[in-house]
Amino acid sequence: MTTVIGVDVGGTFTDLVLHDAATGEIRVAKQPTTPAAPELGVLAAVDAAVPAGLLARCAHFVHGTTVGLNALLESRGAAVGLITTRGFRDVLEIRRGDRDDPYDLFWTPPPPLVPRRLRAEASERVAADGSVVGGLDEDDVLRAARLFAEEGVEAVAIVLVNSYANPGHELRAAELLREAGFTGPVSLSHEVSGEYREYERTCTTVVDAFVRHRMGPYLHNLDRELRSRGFGGELLVTRSGGGALTLAEAAARPFETILSGPVAGAAATARLAATLGLGTAVAADVGGTSFDTALIEDGRLPLLYQGEVVGLPLQSPWVDVRSVGAGGGSIAYADSGGLLRVGPRSAGADPGPACYGRGGAEPTVTDAALHLGMIPAWHISGGIELSADAAADALAPLAGPTGIADADTVAEGVVRIAAAHMAQAVRGVTVERGVDARGAAIVAFGGAGPLFGCLIADELDVDTVVVPPNAGNFSAVGLVQADVVRSAARTLVRPLDADALPVIEGLAAALFDRLDGAGAVREVDLDLRHRGQEHTLTVPVRLEEDDVEAIGARFSAAYHRSFGHRLPDPLEVVTVRATTRVVLDADRPLVPAPPSGEAAGGATRLWSFRRRAWAEAPVLAREGFTGPAEGPLLVIEPTATTYVDAGFAVEAHGSGCLMITRKDRG
Amino acid sequence: MTIVRTVYTEANPGLAEGADPVVTEIIRQGLNAAADQMKQSLIRTAFSPIIYEALDFAVAFYDADLCMLAQAPTLPAFMGTLGFCVREAVDGVGGPAALASGDVILYNDPYGTGSHPQDAAMVVPIFHEDVLVGYSAIKAHWLDIGGKDPYCTDTVDVHQEGTIFPGVKLYDAGRLVTDIYRMILANSRMPEMVIGDINAMVAGARTGAEALAALVRRHGLDTFRRSVARMYAHGEALVRAWFERLPDGVYTADSVIDSDGVNQEPIPFGVTVTVDGSSVTVDLTDCPDQVGGPVNCPLPSTVAAVRIAVAFLAGAGEQPNEGHFRPLELVTRLGSLFHPVRPAPCFMYGIPSDHAIELIIRSLAEAVPDSVPAASGGDINALVWWGTREGTGEPWADGAPHPVGQGASRSADGASALMYISESATRFTPAEVWEARNPWRIERLALAADSGGPGRFRGGLGLDLSFRVLEDQYLTSGLARTALAPWGLEGGLPGRPNRLTVEYPDGRAEDFSLKTRVFLPKGAVVHLRTGSGGGYGPPSERDPEAVRADLREGYITPEHARRHYPHAF
Repeated sequence: MTTVIGVDVGGTFTDLVLHDAATGEIRVAKQPTTPAAPELGVLAAVDAAVPAGLLARCAHFVHGTTVGLNALLESRGAAVGLITTRGFRDVLEIRRGDRDDPYDLFWTPPPPLVPRRLRAEASERVAADGSVVGGLDEDDVLRAARLFAEEGVEAVAIVLVNSYANPGHELRAAELLREAGFTGPVSLSHEVSGEYREYERTCTTVVDAFVRHRMGPYLHNLDRELRSRGFGGELLVTRSGGGALTLAEAAARPFETILSGPVAGAAATARLAATLGLGTAVAADVGGTSFDTALIEDGRLPLLYQGEVVGLPLQSPWVDVRSVGAGGGSIAYADSGGLLRVGPRSAGADPGPACYGRGGAEPTVTDAALHLGMIPAWHISGGIELSADAAADALAPLAGPTGIADADTVAEGVVRIAAAHMAQAVRGVTVERGVDARGAAIVAFGGAGPLFGCLIADELDVDTVVVPPNAGNFSAVGLVQADVVRSAARTLVRPLDADALPVIEGLAAALFDRLDGAGAVREVDLDLRHRGQEHTLTVPVRLEEDDVEAIGARFSAAYHRSFGHRLPDPLEVVTVRATTRVVLDADRPLVPAPPSGEAAGGATRLWSFRRRAWAEAPVLAREGFTGPAEGPLLVIEPTATTYVDAGFAVEAHGSGCLMITRKDRG
Repeated sequence: MTIVRTVYTEANPGLAEGADPVVTEIIRQGLNAAADQMKQSLIRTAFSPIIYEALDFAVAFYDADLCMLAQAPTLPAFMGTLGFCVREAVDGVGGPAALASGDVILYNDPYGTGSHPQDAAMVVPIFHEDVLVGYSAIKAHWLDIGGKDPYCTDTVDVHQEGTIFPGVKLYDAGRLVTDIYRMILANSRMPEMVIGDINAMVAGARTGAEALAALVRRHGLDTFRRSVARMYAHGEALVRAWFERLPDGVYTADSVIDSDGVNQEPIPFGVTVTVDGSSVTVDLTDCPDQVGGPVNCPLPSTVAAVRIAVAFLAGAGEQPNEGHFRPLELVTRLGSLFHPVRPAPCFMYGIPSDHAIELIIRSLAEAVPDSVPAASGGDINALVWWGTREGTGEPWADGAPHPVGQGASRSADGASALMYISESATRFTPAEVWEARNPWRIERLALAADSGGPGRFRGGLGLDLSFRVLEDQYLTSGLARTALAPWGLEGGLPGRPNRLTVEYPDGRAEDFSLKTRVFLPKGAVVHLRTGSGGGYGPPSERDPEAVRADLREGYITPEHARRHYPHAF
């Protein structure tokens, strides 16, 4: 086992977790994120928590970064030029013709990342079967090169129609561009994505070009700074589809890292589920502004192959983590029809909940939880003294317009509605994969997750809630457990028959050649569908042993599980996916909680949702807690508070997790 | 002359009182989420692109009193029409007493669905401890269920439009009724696709039924009913609050439909909207008697048009329920364009319905100028294609709506190339998917420079699309608004109307609007030029910098700029 540092840059805080393999010691640190130059916050966290000698012993520095995402959010990226097939320059702007809000008469798409004057057309045409219908007009490419030089274009995306089936013209256009003297990064659509759907592939390629010139310099600079502090290991960057990329890969394929923010928590849940033998687990991560959830089956991350960020589709593997606007900072209000509503608007970190006393006047979920005793009044959150009076004052005005009796009942309603939102999101991720949530264990983490575990369990009829060690920092724990993963894909629409297998094998071999994964485990997946359908299911295949019948049976089983029926129709291959995985540390243990240092003990006045009444409830310190104990009660630790309602029992598990069991069905 | 007033009244007055507002909100969210689950299930298992790409379907829950509990955001054009379907479907099989758990009712009578026989509904009754608590319903477009052509613009009665299933059990207490199944197969040109879609619809409606039953189980039937009543009251209050802001008065607008597809004569009609406090009456009696061609709009779709207009104007971005529509009253005339009677043909019902939506919105331009944009391209530009593949001899078919430019508003240019508002959630199929599937090469997919109506704010651009056909095939063109240019407002100029031109291999070219079964020989090119948005305010008031930016990006040409915006130079 090796010593590993994980650093996750979030919207508000940069979290560091270090696992020292020699001593088994865990270090954690938290520094404010420095949005203008994120590496400063990262280095500050390193300087605060990691002595130089220890840094020198680290084999891996796993980094979760939002640099790429922020470049998109703030539209601060390269000036990109696009070369595309004649007739198709407006693909990026035409999109798919739909609206984010179907009932908004005035909805307007965000401006395209490449303005129209920088979208150049070249005469050429390849058919869907890869045959060349019209040769590439090289003068068109040279004209584009001149235009880009005049306009100060910094990065170029080349996206030609049907290039997934034959990349010849894209490669030649890139060559011409180089010959014409263009020296900046060039992104080719068949390398970036290799999948069909020209709008989605164009978007992915343009995003790649747009963020690359920020990502590369940022990562190289961070690497240099770490090395100057004595770091001699490898810098890895987390990937939207799980695992991590090497620095060189991340700098070359930055679009693969853009949706990685919420992945670490899901990855940590997957590892925990595998360790504890939980067949079906649901990650329930409650932060300040959102609830993030993912379904983990047999310890595997749920993967999708198209994501979306700021309204832009990305053809890239990503872990299916769903986010809804229900977190500690979510604001409660009475709408004009007199119903009590919660979120998605959030008070954020500034001004924050009313109880922070920093000028926030609107009531939030945190205010409601404080009012109900779920957060002990003496609890210090990030150095802020919480004001129960401010919370009550903010909640009380909601009673009148909603017809609710008093502030207690308002607070109860706010927490129940927030929990119902969370439960809906869990239903979404389970039902869509044909899984009955009732058989799952809820893994509750994030600053506010352990407050909601029992409430979500009751909404979903779930009997088991697991609160991992370091619940508030659990996402960062996922970083130190990452594998090195690379992937590539190519669309190949054809029948799945005996003739298909050699073609698939050849394609997979070509994809693996590009991935260069020495010593890696190779995985092949196929996107399959019934002929006539459009949407696909992805199933793993073992090319050396599977025949067509075996693959078909696997698809059919997956289809039946997702949709509840089987169809006799023949199967079609749509996309071949190749993945290489280098497992760094299969047996890294769960990270135990650091010493609490929390003033615990005694009792508090706590609301029981089950009893709909107040109770005098014990407040227990997590450190040293063994249990079992029956709710209502609180278990507190530095980064989180666990709420256990009446009808639930809690005990400490050997792994360091709190295991909460529903004793009766409420 | 029979005048019909369609109103929505509270089914259970007083039931809402005493409902817990917190539980009401939790149930409201639960209903919307369950409707969404039903939608996702259908999208992911459907066989025809009309369902999984064009989202030409609606999914909804109704309570036992046939009030709409929730509808997932799909095709606004079907907004609220499922209530009529459910009523007729249940009546067809003998009323609520004849229903059993496990039943699936098939219904596609155009006078109850509001549309053509291709739009077929599946209705699943939902029971809680043997009490009927509601229905899940899906209405989706089947590629073909008979009729004189797969898509018809020239029918003269409803019987030419497809096989009608007037409310029959496809599943009887969970058992497939094979006679009905075989009837469907025998009456479709594309039986495999249709059967695939039927299975997807049944699975979706059952998924929905289970989700709703679970919600009722969780909260108990009495709490569920009270909370739902409170939820309707809430929806009603939201819409009333919006209408309350409108000055009381009578607002009108009129327009002209190109033709009925059979008789090449323009069809004028008008809308009158009366605002009285928080109540609104929409009168659509100012129209001709039902016409000889298939542009008659059955009452359910007329109702939907009014509901869509209201949802866009006043819905506050919420998923609507029955309550949202209670402030509305609709007035129609039996036997007219907007309330036809059997056997008037109505295959292209969407043309009058879509036109009415935009006209209702326009009528309120004076009352709420900030909420009313200039006209959009105004149509869904439906094209339906079919043929037999060379080589394999397999039949194929495809069909899709196409985006148009949106009207400029008081504060912004119109958006370019978005689906018409009645299909606003619909996605346009990528050219690469089309080419992998159909014998086509897409030669052009571009915004049309200069097409946006000039104004202080200009209209959104229309789309230029060229399809080269690589094998012999047929096309039915469903284009409307080809004669009437999209109107500007407050001095803004009109945009361009929709246009379809077929360029034959011999060099001949011909334009079509409503035309069934146009033969396209291999090598022909179909040029679709979709309408753009009208402008808002006089062009002379356009910010010169905006004119120069449009010129720089090529959204307008120098000639167009000099002609309409000389002040910018």
